[in-house]
Amino acid sequence: MRVVHYVNQFFAGLGSEEAAETPPTRIEGAVGPGRGLESAFADGDIVATLSCGDDYFGEHEQEALARLVELLEPEGADVLVCGPAFGSGRYGYACAQFSRIASERLGIPTLAAMHDENPGVAAAEGRVLIVPTAVNVAGMRDALPGMARLAEALVSGRELGPPAEEGYLPRGFRRNAFAEKPGAERAIDLLLGKLAGETSSEVASGFDRVQPPAPVEDLGDALVALVTEAGCVPQGNPDRLPSIRAQGWLRYPLLDEQRLAPERYESVHGGFDVSLANEDPNRLVPLDTVRELERAGRIGRVHDAFYTTTGNGTPVAAATRFGREIAGELRDAGVQAVLLSGT
Amino acid sequence: MLAKEIERAGIPTAFVTALPTIATMIGANRIVRGPAITHPFGLEEAQRRRIVERALEMLETPVEAPTVWEVPA
Amino acid sequence: MRRRGRLGFRAAGSSEGGLTAWELASFPPELLGELPAREGVDVEIVRPGEPVRITHVLDAVEPRVRPDGRAAFPTEGRAGEGRTNRLEGVTVLSCLDFPAEERPLHEQEALVDIAGPGAALTPFSETTNVVLTFRARDGLGNEELEDWARRETLAVAEELARPTLAAEPVDVERFELEPADEGLPAVVALVQLSDLGPLYYQYVYGVPAGRAGLPRPIDPAELLDGAVTCGEYHWAALRNPTVFFQRNRLVRALYREHDRRLRFVGVVLMRGYEQSAEDKQRAADRAAEAVVGLGAAGAVITTDAGGNSHTDVMLTCRACERAGVSTTVIVAEMADPGSATPGLTDWVPEADSIVSAGNAEELVDAWMPERVLGGDTLLDGAPARDSGRIPVRNYLGATNQMGQLSLVGTAW
Repeated sequence: MRVVHYVNQFFAGLGSEEAAETPPTRIEGAVGPGRGLESAFADGDIVATLSCGDDYFGEHEQEALARLVELLEPEGADVLVCGPAFGSGRYGYACAQFSRIASERLGIPTLAAMHDENPGVAAAEGRVLIVPTAVNVAGMRDALPGMARLAEALVSGRELGPPAEEGYLPRGFRRNAFAEKPGAERAIDLLLGKLAGETSSEVASGFDRVQPPAPVEDLGDALVALVTEAGCVPQGNPDRLPSIRAQGWLRYPLLDEQRLAPERYESVHGGFDVSLANEDPNRLVPLDTVRELERAGRIGRVHDAFYTTTGNGTPVAAATRFGREIAGELRDAGVQAVLLSGT
Repeated sequence: MLAKEIERAGIPTAFVTALPTIATMIGANRIVRGPAITHPFGLEEAQRRRIVERALEMLETPVEAPTVWEVPA
Repeated sequence: MRRRGRLGFRAAGSSEGGLTAWELASFPPELLGELPAREGVDVEIVRPGEPVRITHVLDAVEPRVRPDGRAAFPTEGRAGEGRTNRLEGVTVLSCLDFPAEERPLHEQEALVDIAGPGAALTPFSETTNVVLTFRARDGLGNEELEDWARRETLAVAEELARPTLAAEPVDVERFELEPADEGLPAVVALVQLSDLGPLYYQYVYGVPAGRAGLPRPIDPAELLDGAVTCGEYHWAALRNPTVFFQRNRLVRALYREHDRRLRFVGVVLMRGYEQSAEDKQRAADRAAEAVVGLGAAGAVITTDAGGNSHTDVMLTCRACERAGVSTTVIVAEMADPGSATPGLTDWVPEADSIVSAGNAEELVDAWMPERVLGGDTLLDGAPARDSGRIPVRNYLGATNQMGQLSLVGTAW
């Protein structure tokens, strides 16, 4: 069995965060955890290890994927194994995307491995087989045998059994089975369990509904922040401002500005015609109006920074991660309400 | 999406968008319909003022589930 | 004589005070009487395992008769007291192909396969079935035909049980709820009945659910003893035929568990398909009040049929939880088998304890029966004998949401 293994820059031994911008690269044979993985196969060799820096992948996803597929193709691999990424979100995301695209473009079986709450799982959208692992590298030894078994099962071509049996995360499909007890009895068991403090369910909603936060009593006392998904960024060179470009979102100080002046801001969003927004950025981030209302006492205070995500087509998992990061900062800053513009 | 993550942190969020149907589907809770994708907060200041004030009203109003408010013309 | 759960008080909504008990006497299927002859109705027997497909099924009813002469499916008085006889292992299945020019609005196919891959989806593949195929009659519109078919089916069910009156039962179950350990959690069954207009009624003592003063509590034994009958003909797999009330597993299990793991404090009936958002919310709130009024700490909430009745159930779940009652909800899934999108029609965050009745969208392998009853052509125009794969959705009661069967959706 010919296996190609994908790992990030750290596990490939190329360095840590400083090597996170490494473009896709090929290493002969097994590297790092790949050696453990290789020895877990009954009869398989890791013929090559492909690696990419987590940040490079995040910022140049299409190019990274194209190059990785290019590197993978000539290897004649029977299976591609990505990870284990454990809880590392950027790494897990890359594993999920590469697994998915490699399978689609080259038709070879693929699998990834990561913690079940890694954003890569959501990014996979049920199209990638993912072996669940611990949340950090302490789970390495436990992760490898399961990855090896699943890889062998895929190469054998046999039909896979249910997730629990084969050691992969349920992908969101539903299949009927006959339970040991009729639904009525299971309902009584579930209800009594819930009354005793243990709630469980046979169906997850899939609707990730968030409880609406309570309203603000009086915005005249509140700290209000402006956020936009529309990619509103300062014109010209953003590097002189504290940017966190790799995270796919940016925070810019508002200081004394009473409006977003068109000569100072632009929209870099790729998904819509930005000319109207560039004429007047307040059409995306209504600072002019909000300052007026602040002066009039309708709003207590405008937060001294606004947040913007960059780029369009951000996959759900990445968007979720960005959202949590921004939300965390807003909460830490004591922001009490947010005006958010979408596209 | 951003709106839900900020709401998940407990901060009431008014999401102004020209695509309220999608926002409802994804589950943002306080949604205000904006006039266009290219300018969700309106073209001119007067319109912008109406949209922002509607959003502020919504921030001061309890909601139970994804709710869309229109902006009076 | 087998004993069942015992209860000491009457559920709210009953007319007299004092203890009541109801006895259900079971008789063997061999007592099945002569098949009735009815004008305009084809009558046939189909036994377990026969390679038969039955189409255009309206209802499934267990033969019942009362030794005291009262009606087995009463429209007045009270069910659930005294004694009722049942014929074990026999089901009356009614079939009707509504006249072509005037098809019902929400009509959907309903099948029972006695053999083949669909046989395991309904319990009727294991009973001796008396199949009544009603033929359309000139001058009778859909509602008149349905009325005739439904009344006739219940009458036949009663007639077929008559031989039990002269025989000895093989078993007698006593349904009586005596005072139980107060330390046990009090549980209610909150049962949804549909009313979406003519041809989509569940009946309470012959009155459509929307006019039966619901939500209201009833004595659990009333539910088991013919007070609730089925007159709805959509959502084959998700609806509840009459026999699912007669043999209701949830209520029977609650009787069994009374004074063991819980206190069974009653059944509340509520209506599905309330017609406006306000009506839905009001009904949900009143159902929760009724449940609280019975002193319940927990409720199992059941669903009838599909579509916006699921919204009624979810709103009711939320109302109960907000009133301090823990709930478990039984619903069917409508998940596209080929994609990873979830299949709950509606949901509220409070619905954190859900029993899956199975995925109604899954496809059952094609099967060719040797014989077809009910009608040779399915509603979608396919030949009943050779229709290719059929969704679980079309099999009568297959994903019923009262927990009668053991089909369940699993995560893949």
